Amino acid sequence: MKKRTMETSLAGHSPGLVRSIERRLFLKQGLSLGALALLSGCDPTDDEGVQSLLKGMSRWNDRAQGWLFNPNKLAPEYPESAITKPFPFNAFYSEEEVTLVDGKDYKLELEGLIREKKPWTLPELYGLPQTSQITRHICVEGWSAIGKWSGVRFSEFLARVGADTSAKYIGFTCADDYYTSIDMETALHPQTLLTFRFADQVLPPKYGFPMKLRIPTKLGFKNPKHIMSMFVSNEYPGGYWEDQGYNWFSGS
Amino acid sequence: MKPLEIAALATFLAAGAGASAADAPGKPMKMDEPMHGEMKKESMKKGDVKKAAKKKEREMKPMIEKEAAGSTKK
Repeated sequence: MKKRTMETSLAGHSPGLVRSIERRLFLKQGLSLGALALLSGCDPTDDEGVQSLLKGMSRWNDRAQGWLFNPNKLAPEYPESAITKPFPFNAFYSEEEVTLVDGKDYKLELEGLIREKKPWTLPELYGLPQTSQITRHICVEGWSAIGKWSGVRFSEFLARVGADTSAKYIGFTCADDYYTSIDMETALHPQTLLTFRFADQVLPPKYGFPMKLRIPTKLGFKNPKHIMSMFVSNEYPGGYWEDQGYNWFSGS
Repeated sequence: MKPLEIAALATFLAAGAGASAADAPGKPMKMDEPMHGEMKKESMKKGDVKKAAKKKEREMKPMIEKEAAGSTKK
């Protein structure tokens, strides 16, 4: 088999592109060396100082990803034929332990920097303008699957309730006790949907009834299911996995 | 259909019904069992999420309420 070196694999590309890739590699290697130097001789799981330093670096990384986020760049959309069947179930619990939410009594609670905090019933939410998307759900575990979700554009919902869209964060709490939060730029992205249907059916319990926030520009754990309440804030809310060390921004 | 085939079919159908009932959602979460999925650390239990959610609510709620009260005064 022919061995592909950097030179052979980049042969034929413009000198500008090669320089750009070399610069990225240099930065990447420099950062890796820096991280190794910081961690040498330490047990990162025990040392509070190292934990604090790593959290600081992770927050800096979040900010950098936020600056790089392009609110106009769309995630790829797919035809119906590309939909993954069956769509995988994934949670920190088994499928038989999925939380059942009673749709008749359900009310979405709103808190924080929102003008109209009146709770929303499901018929009210279903009455909002609906749109559909077929996008790829990408899991941090290393798998991905394509599905069809339908619901209201989150930006439309935020405008209707008078959310302060100059605030930094939106946090979510869920019926299964999960919690997470996202940045406002992603919340306002045109493909971020508050979804009520999956594959043209009412969202089944295992996929997050009564509603799931679908964000095709972020990893799966940033797409909360069984949402019960949300708040808008400038205080950093973190999230369950994010507080365990997973990258908070986790998006493109 | 022979009696043996009927018995086999009945057993198959009963097993199928049992399997689908076992997968049906809504069973109480076993909080002291290890978490499912690949994101967890070895020692994590399902009940850890509930505990963390309560702690987070205690931390965030006063801040969010104070922030919202401040914004309505403006």
